[in-house]
Order: sequence, then structure tokens, then C-alpha cells
Amino acid sequence: MRLFGLETEYGITRDDLAEVDPVVESMELVRAHLTASFERRWDYAGEDPHEDARGFRVSGLAQDKEENEFVERDAHRPFSFHDMKSDLVLPNGARFYNDHTHPEYSTPECRTLKDLLAQDRAGERIVQRAADRRNKTLGGEHVQLYKNNTDFHGHSYGCHDNYLVPRSIPFFRLVAGLLPFLVSRQMITGAGKVGIEAQESGFVPGHFQLSQRADFMETELSVDTMHNRPILNTRDEPHADPRKFRRLHLIIGDANMCEYATALKVGTTRLVLELIERKAVPSLELDQPVAAVKQLSRDSDLKGVVRQKNGSSISGLDIQEQYYRAAVQTFTGLDEETDWVLREWGDTLTLLGQDRRRLIGKLDWVTKLWLLETFMQEERIGWDDPWLASLDLEYHNVHPERGLYLGLEAEGKAWRMTAEADIQRALATGPADTRGGVRGLCVRRFSDQIKSMQWERVRFIGGLLSPTLDMSGLFEPAEVNRCLAIFEAAASPMDALTAWNERKDSRS
Amino acid sequence: MSYNTMPERREGPVDPMPNPGPTEEGGGPRRPEGDSPEKGNLLKRMKKVDPKQAERYRQRTGE
Repeated sequence: MRLFGLETEYGITRDDLAEVDPVVESMELVRAHLTASFERRWDYAGEDPHEDARGFRVSGLAQDKEENEFVERDAHRPFSFHDMKSDLVLPNGARFYNDHTHPEYSTPECRTLKDLLAQDRAGERIVQRAADRRNKTLGGEHVQLYKNNTDFHGHSYGCHDNYLVPRSIPFFRLVAGLLPFLVSRQMITGAGKVGIEAQESGFVPGHFQLSQRADFMETELSVDTMHNRPILNTRDEPHADPRKFRRLHLIIGDANMCEYATALKVGTTRLVLELIERKAVPSLELDQPVAAVKQLSRDSDLKGVVRQKNGSSISGLDIQEQYYRAAVQTFTGLDEETDWVLREWGDTLTLLGQDRRRLIGKLDWVTKLWLLETFMQEERIGWDDPWLASLDLEYHNVHPERGLYLGLEAEGKAWRMTAEADIQRALATGPADTRGGVRGLCVRRFSDQIKSMQWERVRFIGGLLSPTLDMSGLFEPAEVNRCLAIFEAAASPMDALTAWNERKDSRS
Repeated sequence: MSYNTMPERREGPVDPMPNPGPTEEGGGPRRPEGDSPEKGNLLKRMKKVDPKQAERYRQRTGE
């Protein structure tokens, strides 16, 4: 089953204040999206970050203490928890809300890379449009948003990639098959970073590394996401029928500006998951995966090697090469998108080893390094100059007239898979072949009749038991299309639900 | 315009993945051609960035 999505926490700041309250700023930013008053609609049932995919429930998370302190502090604020979250479901099926201290945009579920990129780019537009409105109210361009993962002072925030996988794959097989791949994936998907950090413990300038998140990886497996961050997060929140599915929730990834890097991040990971399902994954086991993540990130020459459990050494490129070859053997000719991923994955590995300048505009870390080196030459400054961290930050600014990446893209120097029409469509509608499209359609057609909604269901107003569209198993494209057709044609949600349930009953 | 009141739009068939042909371009418009950002206005944009910006930038830990 092919289904994936991205959640992106944006960095937010105001340049007219000495001290910024990120809770208020994030809330105000999300609220700026609205043209009417906020109505609480997000249904938090089904969200329990304490459930662990290894088969148990943890009593507490490392961040619980800090979260509790926030809650206590927030209790004195002049708004409720739900007001603070300001959870919105958008007409494209996406979720846009204040994830406590960061505005977060979660794409609707996507089945194709092209849809995912369009929805991810639509997210950039949505958050920036909200910033524009907020700035209009403030009377100046004060709010700035960054699609990155660090503040260069030891605070990281995430861009999580999510995949629907069959529950029938034992979790230990996912772990074994994914760890070496994820440790080395940053060579393609790293967003690049000036300096070295550690969790909440300062910043050392003078270096350039591949990844923004590598410094914040502290363990191989954990249900935590804010402290003791794992290479592989074990949170078990399937947002689907839990008997049949898992949602693999990867928190190691960087937020990418380059469409090509996003496409390869999700495209290659999806293929590796299918390799694991088919028991065709290469047999690799790293000795110290956490150390290896940092080691590979800090080696922009890509020459370093990491130790395997069997005592031998292997380079990051060779790890990727082994996964790539297994995928070529298993999936060549499967479909057009798969062939595209295989071709580009192979070309990228070759170019990383031979001529990485040809990846400028395609991979973020290569692009950022090229920009910084050019600037250093021009200004005659060295790697320890604090200007470079500022340029790194500005690379990720989503303001079209300020962001360095967006400037590069505007000059036609970045690879694009999306056209402007794709992004405009993604701003207005969700994918036509996933339940994200159905969710968005419900918002567009029956907004005033929705009582609550979340990933799996939409509850409508009416009666003691709210009429509910259950989408926990709505994944087959043909079924999605039928559901969309019914909800498009129906005069009311009740009519749609009646028609949809009759159809389901007649099939069972 | 309120997105909640936007006219309903049905998404048409999605284009197939772009066929990149024999080059490395991958279906996008093109590979960057310049050796240096100077050719555009990018270097000017970079010079406008406040060197102290990152020093002032503070966030809370997220997920």
C-alpha cells in the first residue's frame, strides 16, 4: 500500500521584539490564515504518543516534564488549550496548527511523489500567506518563517516523513532493514548545516555538515521525539485500522527546500519499505548507528567509513549503493514512478562520488555548500564567520523575496517537478486518490455541518450519535474515487453517508 | 478569498511522472548552469543578510 505524507514544523521569529513568545506567535500565525473566527474541530482521539510499536505503552516520555511545565504556564494565559492549538483542517485535506511553539503544516495523505511535492510546496505558500496577513496587521515585515530544523543554539524541530505499512511486517524487521538506510540517507536528503550542536547545549562554528538533524540523534530506538531523539521513532499511532496497519513515523529527516531531495527522500524510503516487506533488503548491520549518523553528517567529502557489526568498514555511499542495487533488482519496470526513483537514485549516487556540482539545485546540502563557498570567496571570510550561520538560516526563509533557496529557484537554477498550476491545485484540493482528498472535499462542501474531524474520520452534526464518515480503511484508490463521487454529488452529508454506507453494505 | 468558500474543484487526472530522457535533469526544467550565484541577484540577496541574524534566532525545542 503506497501512502505517505510530511509534517513540517516551521521556525518562527519576529524581528521587532527583543523576546518572542513562540506560543502566541505560532497561534497568531495560524489564526491569520482564517477569514472567520476559529471553531474548534480537531478530534484528538487516536493521538497517544505513549503507545510504542515494540508492543508496550510507556508511562512517560522524556518531554512530559517539560510539557507539563508548559501546560502549567499556559494555564495562566488568557486562552484555552484548544485556542492555543488552533487546529485547522484545510480544504486540501491538510492540517495546519500550532504544535505548541511551532506552526506545523501536515500534508494530506499522498500516493504519488508529484502530489506530495505539490502539497508540500502548497504548505510553504499557506504559512507564508498567513505571515503576510499577520505582518499586515503588525504594520511591517516582522514575522519570518523558516523551513529548517535548528536555531543554531541546540534547539531542533522536525520534518517528519510518514508511511503507511502493513502491520504484518514485524517491527523488528522494519528496524533491522531501515537503520543502515536511514543512517546514510542524509547523503542525499541532508539540508546542510553550518556548525555543530547538541541538544540544548550550544553551537560550535567552523564546520559544514550534511544534515541539520544528525546532531540531535541520541539513540537508535525510542518513542520520544523531543529529547533522547531516535533514528527510528517507535510511536505507534497508525491513524488507520490498527489491526492492519502501522504508520512509520520517521523523525530523523531534514526539512528540504529542494523538490528533488524531497522526492528522493520519500521515494527511496518507500522502496526500502517494500524491500523489507519482500524480505529483499541487503544484510547490513552497523556497529554504532547513532555515532555513524553524526560521523557521516560531518564528512562532506563522503570519504569516511563506519564500522559494521561484523567488524568490517563501509562508506555511506556504499550503504546506499547496496540498497539501491537491491531495489533495482526487485522493482525495475514496476511502474513509472518507481523507475523514476531508481534512475535518479542511481544517478545521484554516481554524481555524489564523481561530480557533485551537477547536483546543485537538486540536493540541499550541495546547493547550500556551493552558495556559502561562493560567498566566502567573495567576502574573503572563513568557516568560523558568524555570517555563514545567518546565511544558512536565510536559505530556508519561505519569504519569496528573502529566502536564498527561493531566490535560486526564481532564477531558474533549481530542479522542479511541480509547476505553478500543480501548487495552485494543491492549495485548493487534496489528492484525488487518497482519503486526504475526501477530507478536503468535506471541508469545502459541508464546512458548516462538520462537528469534528481528524485523519481517520469526519463527524457531522446531527443526532445523538454524530453521523460519521469512517476512513480508517479507506485506502484503495478506486474506493476513494467512489467515495469522492458520492460526497460531490450528495445534497447533504447525511445523503452522502447513506449512499456510501448502502454501497458498502451491498458489497459485504 | 476565504478558502472555505472557494468553489469546489475536482482534481483532474494527475500527470505521469516527468520523463527525464537520457540526461540527469529528472524532468525538471534544468540543471543550474552558473558557476556562481553572481549571475543573478542572489549574491546581492546574500549580502543583505544580517551577519548577526542567527545569533539572535532562538526557538524552543520541537519534535
